This record gives sequence, C-alpha cells and structure tokens, in this order.
Amino acid sequence: MYAKKFEPIAGKCPEIIEYLMASPDIPEQENLRFKIQLSIEEIVENIVQYAYENGAGHVEVSTHREKDDLVIRFKDAGIPFNPLEKPDPDISLSVIDRPVGGLGIFICKQMMDEVCYEYKDGCNILSIRKKIVSE
Amino acid sequence: MKTTISQNGKKYNVVLTGRIDTTTAAQFEQDMKPLMDIENGDITIDCADLEYTSSQGLRTFLTLQKKVMTHNGQLVLTNMQAQVKEVFDITGFSNIIKIV
Repeated sequence: MYAKKFEPIAGKCPEIIEYLMASPDIPEQENLRFKIQLSIEEIVENIVQYAYENGAGHVEVSTHREKDDLVIRFKDAGIPFNPLEKPDPDISLSVIDRPVGGLGIFICKQMMDEVCYEYKDGCNILSIRKKIVSE
Repeated sequence: MKTTISQNGKKYNVVLTGRIDTTTAAQFEQDMKPLMDIENGDITIDCADLEYTSSQGLRTFLTLQKKVMTHNGQLVLTNMQAQVKEVFDITGFSNIIKIV
C-alpha cells in the first residue's frame, strides 16, 4: 500500500498531488494520467480548502490496485461533507445563466469509473476507482 | 504556465503554454485580467501548447466568455489538444465557448 498522512494541510495541494502522481500504482499512459491527475486535483483542493478551518488538520491519502482497477483513497477528519450529494451542474445552460465554478467533483465523476463516499468513525472517506487497461 | 498577449488594434492574440493547475491557476487568472474589460475586442487564444487545465482554469475561461459577451466582443479558442478539449466537452463548455 502506497500511503501517506499530511498534517497540517494548508497550502499543501501541490505536495499531495505530486505524492499521489508518483505512486507506482498510477499507470504511465499519458491520457490516463491526465484524467487521474484532474480527478485528484479537484478532490485535494476541496479537502485543503474546506475540510478544516485554516487547513489545520490532516488528510491520509493512499493508492492501491484491485485487479485491473486503480483505487485512490482520501481520508480526513474534517467537517462531514458528502460531495456526491451535490446535484450535477446543468451543462445545457447558456453562457449568461451558467454559474462560474462548481465543476470539480462533476469532472471527477466523469473521468473516473466510480466515486464513493462514506462517513465513518468521524472521518470523510472518498475513494475513486479507474479501470486500467494496459496497451 | 506562460501567457503571452499581443495586440493589433481590436485584435488580441493570446498564446498559452503549459499547465493550468493548482499551482498556476491563480497566475493564469491574473494574466487574463487585461482582457476582461475590452470593448468590442476580438480575442483569439491559441491553445496548441496548453497541456492541461483543471476546473480552476475553466472558471477563468467562462468568466472571460461572460465578460467578452457583455462587452460585445468575440472569443475563439484554437488548436486545442484532444485531452483538454475533452474537459471542455464533458463540462458543456464546448457549447458556450467557440472552439475551432
């Protein structure tokens, strides 16, 4: 298991993303790395910005493989928040009606095969899963 | 991440190079500020060397599109790489921002 705990997390987005992208579980294909990084980035930014007041808490991140699947997990003990409860944005709206922002978790859901959330023992646990097909 | 803006009358050519990500998104937003209040501007953004954009980058593109419309201008994104285009497609941005 490739795993690390970061604490405190204020200002550590680049460091956390870099750590995850360096995991041996993450494939080398550029198109997959693009999708994975995009998903990781949206999640890490959410946690660093909103999970704790002033980012003064921790996050545990890990990666592993389950058969063909890459699984990345994020665990924090911050404010309970299920990002999956948020309705998807209406992507058919015109420029004027389209709100700025609110796309992060939606992009993540589109890029990954599965996004799961659970609240357990005082922790937010978000897992993302992507099938890795070797070329 | 590098943004180069050149101006010829009402025509603005912008060249983006690199990645709009967690470390560069704020800089990109700053770099685009001068384009936000142009009247009747004709803005072309060359995305050939734009390798990546997160949702923070998309925010800036949408804000720019809104501003350009308010000021009766035009915005076109050109030469976008396939992976970046996919992000614009899945978010519906391809329908509200002109990409050629």
